[in-house]
Amino acid sequence: MIPEVTVTNREDVPQWLSYGAPLGTILAALLVASVPLLWLNINPIWVYWELFVSQPTTVSGFADVVRTALPLFFAGLAVYLPLKAGLWNIGAEGQLFVGAVVGAAIALHVELPSLLLIPLMLVAAGIAGALYGAIPGYLRAEHDVNEIISSLMLTFTATTFTGYLLRGPLQGSSGQSATDRLPDAAQLPSVLTPRLHVGVGLIVVVALASYILLNHTRLGYEIVFIGSNPAAATQAGISTYKIYITVFVLGGLLAGIAGIVEVAGVHGRLFEDFSPGYGFTAVAVALLGRNGVGQVLLAALFFGVLTAGGTTIAVTQNVPSALIDVIVALTILFLLTAEFVKDHRINIAWRGSDPEAASQTGGSP
Amino acid sequence: MSLFAATLESTVRLATPLLLAAMGEIIAERSGVLNLGVEGMMLAGALGGFAAAVLTGSIWVGFAVGILAGMTLALLHAVLCISLNADQVISGIMLTLLGVGLTTYFGRGYVGQSIEGFQRIAIPGLVEIPILGTALFSITALDYLSLLLVPVVWYVLFRTNIGAEITAVGEDPETADTAGVPVFHIQYACVLIGGALAGAAGAQLSLAFTNFWGVEMTAGRGWIAVALVIFAQWRIIPLLGGAYFFAGIDALSFRSSAVREYVVDLVGISALESMFQFLLNPQVMNTYPYLLTIAVLWYVMRQTNRNELGAPSALLKSYDRE
Amino acid sequence: MTTDPLLELEGITKRFGEVVANDDISFSVDRGEVHALLGENGAGKSTLMNILYGLYSPSSGTIRLNGDPQTFEAPKDAIDAGIGMVHQHFMLIPRMTVLENIVLGEREHTATGDGIVDRFKRIFGRDRAGPRERLSELAEQYGLAVDPSEKVWELDVGEQQRVEILKALYRDIDLLILDEPTAVLTPTESEQLFETISTLVDEGLTVIFITHKLWEIERLADRVTVLRNGKRIETVETDGVSRSDLAEMMVGREVLFDIDKARVPTGETVLSASGLQARDDRGLEAIAGVDLTVEASEIVGIAGVSGNGQRELAECLIGYRPLEAGQIELDGKNLTGAAPRTIIDSGVSFIPEDRYAHGCAEELSVMHNAGVKIYRNGELDSSRLFLDYDGLESYADKLVDRFDVRGVTDVNRTPAGTLSGGNLQKLILGRELSRAPRLLVANQPTRGVDVGAIEHIREQLVEQQQDGTGVVLISEDLDEILDLSDRVLVMYDGEFVHETTPAETNKWELGVYMSTGAAPAADDQLISEAQ
Repeated sequence: MIPEVTVTNREDVPQWLSYGAPLGTILAALLVASVPLLWLNINPIWVYWELFVSQPTTVSGFADVVRTALPLFFAGLAVYLPLKAGLWNIGAEGQLFVGAVVGAAIALHVELPSLLLIPLMLVAAGIAGALYGAIPGYLRAEHDVNEIISSLMLTFTATTFTGYLLRGPLQGSSGQSATDRLPDAAQLPSVLTPRLHVGVGLIVVVALASYILLNHTRLGYEIVFIGSNPAAATQAGISTYKIYITVFVLGGLLAGIAGIVEVAGVHGRLFEDFSPGYGFTAVAVALLGRNGVGQVLLAALFFGVLTAGGTTIAVTQNVPSALIDVIVALTILFLLTAEFVKDHRINIAWRGSDPEAASQTGGSP
Repeated sequence: MSLFAATLESTVRLATPLLLAAMGEIIAERSGVLNLGVEGMMLAGALGGFAAAVLTGSIWVGFAVGILAGMTLALLHAVLCISLNADQVISGIMLTLLGVGLTTYFGRGYVGQSIEGFQRIAIPGLVEIPILGTALFSITALDYLSLLLVPVVWYVLFRTNIGAEITAVGEDPETADTAGVPVFHIQYACVLIGGALAGAAGAQLSLAFTNFWGVEMTAGRGWIAVALVIFAQWRIIPLLGGAYFFAGIDALSFRSSAVREYVVDLVGISALESMFQFLLNPQVMNTYPYLLTIAVLWYVMRQTNRNELGAPSALLKSYDRE
Repeated sequence: MTTDPLLELEGITKRFGEVVANDDISFSVDRGEVHALLGENGAGKSTLMNILYGLYSPSSGTIRLNGDPQTFEAPKDAIDAGIGMVHQHFMLIPRMTVLENIVLGEREHTATGDGIVDRFKRIFGRDRAGPRERLSELAEQYGLAVDPSEKVWELDVGEQQRVEILKALYRDIDLLILDEPTAVLTPTESEQLFETISTLVDEGLTVIFITHKLWEIERLADRVTVLRNGKRIETVETDGVSRSDLAEMMVGREVLFDIDKARVPTGETVLSASGLQARDDRGLEAIAGVDLTVEASEIVGIAGVSGNGQRELAECLIGYRPLEAGQIELDGKNLTGAAPRTIIDSGVSFIPEDRYAHGCAEELSVMHNAGVKIYRNGELDSSRLFLDYDGLESYADKLVDRFDVRGVTDVNRTPAGTLSGGNLQKLILGRELSRAPRLLVANQPTRGVDVGAIEHIREQLVEQQQDGTGVVLISEDLDEILDLSDRVLVMYDGEFVHETTPAETNKWELGVYMSTGAAPAADDQLISEAQ
C-alpha cells in the first residue's frame, strides 16, 4: 500500500481554516515546545498555565505584558508598513538602536525640565530612526538595491557601533559598556503601577494613527496599491519611488521611538543588550498580524505575554528564558506551514500496487 | 612574535569558520535559495559538536555531529522553501531564532566545561618559513580542511556537470526544468550542504578555536558569512580573499590597542591621532564588513552591464512547476 | 517524400477551464516538408505546439509519430521522441556560454555506463571536448556558425536563435518546431534563418513553423494549415493558393459593412504625436518612427497582429515607456517625456492590454481598483491628506451600476481578481471613461471577454466618442476596428503601413496588410508565381 499524496491549489479558503489557522499555529508551537520542557523534567502544562493565565492576570504581570508589547508593537509596525508596500524591513532592530542612542545622548547632555526634555528625546529618536531607515528605502528606490540585505547590514552596523559608543563617548562611570543612569528629568514617569511607564499611552496613539494612515489617507491608499501591483500602480501615476522611501522613513521613525522609550521608560539607562531582539521578533509580529493594525497589536501582545512571562518563569520555575525564543520560532514555523495548507488542498489516497489505478493519474493542465 | 605575525596567525584561524559557512551559503544561493539561518545552524553545530565530543570523548565524532546538527536545521529550511514555497527570508530568520533558542536552552549544561580540542599540526619544513610559517602551516586539521575545501568547491561549482546544473537552476529554474535538470533534487542538496558546512563552521569554533561552549558564541559570524557571499558576488576567489579580509579585521580588533599604537607611531601626526583611534577602535572595525558589503552592493547596482555581476537571477524566487 | 506522414494530429482538443483553446484539430505533416501554421493571435497555434512539445497534455485527441501514438508528460519525452522546439521567448541562460546552454541537462556525453564509477563521472565530471566536437560538426552540417565559448548575453538575437536551434539539433530530432521565429529578427537575420531552414530540410529534417506573416509562408512552406478560433480551417498546398485566400481563411469571410453609428463631427486635435521611436523590454526597436494624430470625437483604429509595436506605442502615449525620439503633444501642450501622473492628470485614460499585470491590483477590492484614477482628483482628497473612502465607495457603486459590472457583492470587500475577465474589463473601462478623458488609449479592450460584455464595452466606446473623447483603439479584432473606427491604421513591424477608412476597406484587405505589411496584389496572384 503506497500513500499517494496529491496537492492541488485551493480556489477559496474555507472559513474554518482562515480562523482556525492562527490558533492552530499557536497550539502546534506550544505542543512542540513542550518537548524541550519535558527533557528538563519540567511540566509544560504548569509552564503554559503560568505564562498565559497566572502571570498576565496579576497587576504586575499584566503591566509587564503591556510594557513589553510596546516595543514589539512599534517595531512590528516598522516591518508592517513597508510590508504593505511590498518591501521587507529587516532593519527594525538597527533603527531601534539608533533611536535609543540619539535619545540617550540628548538626555545625558541636554539640561531641560522633564516636560521639555522627554518630548525632545522622543522627537530626536524618531528623526534619527527615520533617517537611518531612509537609507535602505532610498537605496531600493534609486538603485534597486535589495532592501533585505541593506537593512540587515545596517542593523548589525548600528548594534556594533552602539557597542563602540557605550565603551567610548557615551560610557558612564561604571566602566561597563553602558551609560550612566539617565537624569531624572529624562526618566519616563510611571502610570498606574510602578512597572508601567507613561509611554504605553503611545500605543493607543500609534495604533490609531497607523490605522488611520492605512485606511483613511491618500498615502495609505497608494501604499496598499503599490504593495499589490507595483506595475499597475506606476501606470496609474503613483510614484513608487516616493512611497518606497516614505514607508521606510515611517518604519524607522516608529522603531526609533520604540528604542528610546525602552531605554528611558524601562531600564533608565542605555546598555548593550537592552533589546532582546525586538526588531527580529517584529518580523514575526508583522507576519502574524498581516491582516491589519489591530492584528499586529494582538500579535505584539501575544509575544509580549510570552516574553514578559518568560523572564518571570525563568526565575520562578527555573525555565531557561531561551524557551521563549524557541516558542516564537516555532510559531513562525507553523505559520509558514499554515500558509501552505491554506493555499493547497492535500489529498492522501491509499492505493494498492494496482497498475490500473496507477495509470488513471493522467496529465492535467 | 611581532604584531604582524600574531595578527596573521589569528587571521588564518578566524577565517576558517567564515570560509566554511560562506562556502556553504554560496552553494545554497547559487541554486537559488537564500539561507538566513546560517547563524542558527552554526550555533547548532557548535553545541552539537561540543556536546558530542564531551559525551564520546572524540573530537572527530563531535565534528561529525556538528555537521549533522547544521544539516537538520537546513532540512527544515529546504522543506519549507523548496517544497512548501514559503518565504525564504522568514524561514531563514526563524531558523536562526530557533538555533539560538535551542542551543541556549540545551547548552546550559555544557557551559563552563572545556575539552582538549583540535591541536595544531605543524607541517615540517614549511613551518620554518619566517612569519608565514607559523601562521599558515601550524594550524589545526579543520583549518587545513577548510582551505583544501576551497579549490574543491570551486572545481565542483565551475568545472563539473553538476555545477553547471546548479548554476542553471539558480538562474532560471524553468529553463533548467524543461531541459530535464532535476531542479528540486539539486536545490535540496545545495541547501543541505549549506547547512552541513555551517554546522562544520560552528563545530570548528567550539572544538578547535575556543575549546568550550558559550551561549551565542558565534557572535554574529553567521551573518558575516552571509554578507561575505554578497561581498564576493557569488564567486570563490573573492570569497577566499574576503574571508581573510574580514577575518583580518576581526584579528586586528582583538589587538586593537597595540595596532592603534603602532599606526599612530607610524603616521606620527598627532592631529590625525584621534581619527585613527576612532577608525581602529575594535567595535568600529567590526562594522566594516557590513559597510563594505553595502558599498559593494551599491556599486554593483549602479553598473549598467550587470550581466556578469549580481546575484543568481532566480535567488529568492520559489519555483513552482505550475 | 514518403507516403506515410511523420506526424499525425487526431482530434486534438485542449480546454483551460471554460476556454477551448484547441477544438478538435486534425492534420498531418509529411516527412521532409516545411509545414506552416497560420493564424491570428488567440487562434490556438502556440497551445497546439506546446501540446506537441509536452508542455501541456491534450484534453482529448492523439498524437502519432510514424504511426505510433505518443504521450508526453514533459518536454523531455518529446525530445526523446525526436521533437525539438524553438520558442518565441528563448529558453536560454544568459550568463552561461553557448556550449553550456546546449549541453545543459544532458550528462551522457561524459560517461554512458550504469556502474557507480560512471554515475559519479556523470555528476562530478565534465567533458567539453566531445560536445564541442559534435557541436562544430552540427554547425557545419547545418550552416549555423556559433562560438561555443561566448556567453549567451553577448550574442545578438539572431545568434541566440541559432543557439536554440542547435540545442534542438544536438538532441537528434526529426521534427523541429519554430514558434514565430522572425518576430525578433531583422530582415537580414530572417533571410539567414530561411537559408538555415532550407539546409535543415535538405539534411532530412521536418519543420513546422508558426507565423502570421504570409510572405514567409510563400517563401518557405510546402503546405500550410490555417487555424482560427481554435479550429482548423484548412490545410492547403502553398502552390495552389493566393494571398488573399489565405488572408481570408485567417480572418474570416469578407463582410461589407454598413456603418450605421451616428456620425459626430470631429473637433480640434487632441493628440499629436510625431516621429515616435521606442524600444521594447528586450531592448529591440519596437516603434520605428510613428506619427499619430487624433481629434476630439474621433476613433482611430489601429489594426495589426499583437507584437508589432502596439503595446509599446500605447505605453509611450501614457508615459510609462521612455521615448527614444519623437514628440507627444496633448491639447497643444508638449508632454514628451512626462511622467504617467502628468499625462493622466492632463486627461488621458488607458486600458492596458494585460488587465491583470497592468490594469488592476487583484487582491484589493473593487472599490480600490475603481478609484485609482480619481482618488487624487481634489474631490475625494480635498484635505490632501485624508481620502474620503465613503465617497470612493459610492463612486465605485455607481460605476459598477453604470457599467454593468457583475459579480460584485460588496465594492468594499470583493477582490477585483475574483471578477470574471469581462467584468473586470468593464470595471477598468468604467473607471477610465467616467473621468471624461480627452484621450482614451484602449489596447485590445475586448480580448478574452465574453460576448455580452463585448457589446457593452463597444457601446461605451462609441458613447465616449460622442461626448468628445478622442480614442486610440488598438485591436486585433477586425470586426471591431471596422465597426467602430472613423479612421483605420495598420501597424506592422513598428510602423503604420496603411491608412484608410472603414468604408474604403474590408477585412481581407486589412488582413493582407496585417500579415504582409504591403498591399494585396492588384490581381489575385498565386503564391508560387509571387516568388
